[in-house]
Amino acid sequence: MSLFFMIVLGLVMGLVFGVALEKSRVMEPGVLVGQFQFRNFIMLKMFLSATATGLVVLAVLNGVFDVPLHPKAAAWGPVVIGGLILGIGIALAGACPGTALAQIGAGYKDAWAVVAGGILGAIVYGYNIDWFKSVLDFGDAGKITFADLIPLPFWALALLAAAGLIALMVVLERLSPSAIENGRCDVPMEGPDEDRLGHQVHGQPAE
Amino acid sequence: MDILTKKSWSPYAAGVVIGLLQIPAFLLVDTALGASSSFVTAAAWVAGLFDPAAAQIDYFAKYMTSSKYYWQSALVIGIALGAFLSAKASGTERASFAPSWTKMTGIRSLTVRMVMGFAGGFVLLIGARIAGGCTSGHGISGMAQLAVGSTVAVATMFAGGILMSLAYKKI
Repeated sequence: MSLFFMIVLGLVMGLVFGVALEKSRVMEPGVLVGQFQFRNFIMLKMFLSATATGLVVLAVLNGVFDVPLHPKAAAWGPVVIGGLILGIGIALAGACPGTALAQIGAGYKDAWAVVAGGILGAIVYGYNIDWFKSVLDFGDAGKITFADLIPLPFWALALLAAAGLIALMVVLERLSPSAIENGRCDVPMEGPDEDRLGHQVHGQPAE
Repeated sequence: MDILTKKSWSPYAAGVVIGLLQIPAFLLVDTALGASSSFVTAAAWVAGLFDPAAAQIDYFAKYMTSSKYYWQSALVIGIALGAFLSAKASGTERASFAPSWTKMTGIRSLTVRMVMGFAGGFVLLIGARIAGGCTSGHGISGMAQLAVGSTVAVATMFAGGILMSLAYKKI
């Protein structure tokens, strides 16, 4: 594929991704930290739904059309330690690498600092990659999936997992209804702006 | 365009839309959705401005040459554009920084919050690069491929986030 096509495709897919992140409020720092404090489950709901959808998509692409998968390696050192550091970073930044860009788009000024800090982090990692690898590269079990561990084809296990996640979402919605979480966002998910600002913008001028 | 002017989508609907993006990712780019690699592409270019030898570092060179990484860089720029359009269309543009930060940490100054955000971004990418992926690559994409390592990564990301969020006031 030509580079130009790749860039246009990336932009178009990113547009859709960005709209979904803004509309669902998953890019709100309060929503991410709220998830970590188990006060708000919007992030988990979106995440489970995206994963379940991806599982069904890949069950078809891989199971029917033989499209190859690209699982990352199960390297215990990097994954456990990197994951912990990444999680701390999410809570400090109030963003993941992708949602930081959505925050910039939506107008949050501090997200520019998050992205700048992230680029510096990637520079520091790149210059010191040998050191990071010498300390953390242990326990590499290879690019394994659960379908390698359980005697079922990928498509079957993926569909089972998707069904499990859907059941989990049904339970989650019972325990923490979206209607309650909507009101806990910095930018409410419903209702006119007039309510948020505390005065009427449209309609009759105030007496 | 009612879906764009709508103030919000249910998180489930947003998840389905994001999950469907795996179709063009796997079929047209031969990769899974991800975001943090694009920071290495940006890092390689920025490092190259100050250090001509940066391009000789294998790790940077890899992220400057493959079209897959240009696709991902375009993707994250698209994310910013999409969020901008979405906020514009529904009149939900944000200003300064999220009011939640003041509730959680007492921070009232944008400068202080930017210092914190910069540190957060730094930690974020160090972690993502060690782990070899972020909430998109390991999270949404890794778990959709039933990858064992990605499932562990998601658990430890949550653990790290929960630990750090204990330091904040309840939101």
